Amino acid sequence: MTDYEIHELMTCRVAAEVDEQGVTVMGSFTPLAYAAYMLAKLTHAKGAYLAGFDAVGMAPVQLSFTGAEAAAYKGAACRWGMLTEVNSIHLANHGGVEAVSSAQFDGSGAINLSAIGPFDKPKVRLPGGAGAAEVIKMYRKMVAYFGNHNSRTLVEKVQFTTGTRWKVGAAARTEAGLQPGPVVVVTNLAVLVKDEDDEPFRIESVHPGVDPQTVVENTGFEVRVPDDVPTTAEPTARQLDLLRNRIDPFGTVKFDFVSGKDRLAYLKGVLDAEWERATAVAS
Amino acid sequence: MSESKMPDKVAPLEILGELVHDGDSVAFGGGWFANHPMAAVRELIRAGRRDIHAITVVGSVDMDLLAAAGALGHLSFSMVTMEAFGLAPNVRKAVESGTLPFTEYTGLGLLIGLEAQGRGVPYLPYRGPFGSDIPARYPGIYATSTCPFTGEELTAVRALQPDVAIVHALRADAEGNAQWDGTSGPDVEMAKAARKVIVTCEEVVDRDVIVRNAHMTKLPGYYVEAVIEAPFGAHPTSHIPRYAMDAWELMDYAGAAAGPSFAEYVEQVRGESEEGYRARVLKGRDSVLTSLVDAAEVIEGAEA
Repeated sequence: MTDYEIHELMTCRVAAEVDEQGVTVMGSFTPLAYAAYMLAKLTHAKGAYLAGFDAVGMAPVQLSFTGAEAAAYKGAACRWGMLTEVNSIHLANHGGVEAVSSAQFDGSGAINLSAIGPFDKPKVRLPGGAGAAEVIKMYRKMVAYFGNHNSRTLVEKVQFTTGTRWKVGAAARTEAGLQPGPVVVVTNLAVLVKDEDDEPFRIESVHPGVDPQTVVENTGFEVRVPDDVPTTAEPTARQLDLLRNRIDPFGTVKFDFVSGKDRLAYLKGVLDAEWERATAVAS
Repeated sequence: MSESKMPDKVAPLEILGELVHDGDSVAFGGGWFANHPMAAVRELIRAGRRDIHAITVVGSVDMDLLAAAGALGHLSFSMVTMEAFGLAPNVRKAVESGTLPFTEYTGLGLLIGLEAQGRGVPYLPYRGPFGSDIPARYPGIYATSTCPFTGEELTAVRALQPDVAIVHALRADAEGNAQWDGTSGPDVEMAKAARKVIVTCEEVVDRDVIVRNAHMTKLPGYYVEAVIEAPFGAHPTSHIPRYAMDAWELMDYAGAAAGPSFAEYVEQVRGESEEGYRARVLKGRDSVLTSLVDAAEVIEGAEA
């Protein structure tokens, strides 16, 4: 067994949700989701249709802070703009997998990317959801991922609902004209799944070395623990090779797992490497 | 028979101070760290514009710098983020202290409001952000609409008409025909919705160049009032395929914004010409920013 880090296991688990049905659009600054989509496209879902920035039908690209946008256009079949994407992918029910991360997430499938505290004069003003409010509702699969599984993030009820899955169960979604599909939560401890509106999330699997009780204690909403909880699949050597050497050699995914005071130094290190490569290309 | 002359809309950057008035609503193009009309943002600050009602879909350093300079009277947005560099510190401070009134749209709602205006209808319906707390906060923007044919309940978004849209293109000609190659984001919808459209561009070219690449023209000249040449006009955000985002300048910005000397940073921008800004900030970094575009890799031939 190859040693791996937790963000690599999470990337592989999110990648497992990516298939060849529909279009998957890259959200705003979600490196782990980007890496997962690329991994899927290089392994089990070569026909996955990806859109990043205004590049639609992307080839898999190497991740970097400064180069991912340019790379997206190099291998794409089509160049649109935001509104065409909205009308042709999101609203036309062609959306495949939406991976989001948010400041708060609750047991109904709601996200908060707006405000902690009063909306008009918040304690913390968050960035806002961009298209997430509509997209997590409309896409076939909603995947929420969190690098730090705790009850401050996975809360009983979000303080403000920026967006929500709205209907969860397959029958309710089909009746509402939405594509049926699951809500999957991937964290550093476990994978949680919700299939029906009136049933709580259940633990689908726990990561190696994690006890189901730890998951329950660190989750602010009700979690059902099945009698038999399997262990999340570990990354294979081939997945790790692709992630480390082809998809994310600069380590952009890990950036989100670096704690507050070390983040700036880590970012500087990544940018130094990107600079070095660019100047090598120029000379 | 009198001969009419082709319009020449080319103007210097300094004209922004005349075209944009205090209190105007201004839609700023670009999205993420891509393609924001930053030269125009800096020029509005130099011109001392105040009380601007800025409209952005996914804003970043553009909105944060305007907030820092005290140029904003209102902010309409669906997201403002400095991504890896954190939450936009000056926007955040202004909202949390209650000094900056704001309207938070859902991302699709904002684009559809612009689309409605561009089409000349008072609203457009869509399968909206059901369950979101945002629509109920803004009954003047979001409403429920019933399909006259099926009875289905939809979300209606009121048309949104900015006084001005400012977008940054790759190139444009003197008539205002403007082309994008990479990210265009919300630029076209903003331009079609606005009363007045200002195009800044990396270069002003002859009409021949536009015609030879007509498939890249996303905005025909009849929409456009002024064309302004602004090389590196999106800096420190990107303009693909010319240059990548300047993460190093953004890091300096984020560092300065967190410290006590940030007022000096803003004053420096306010006190120099755009040419002076380029000379000071780029310092030869322009070739690296271009090389970053070349260095970006598509992953080829990963066998199963």
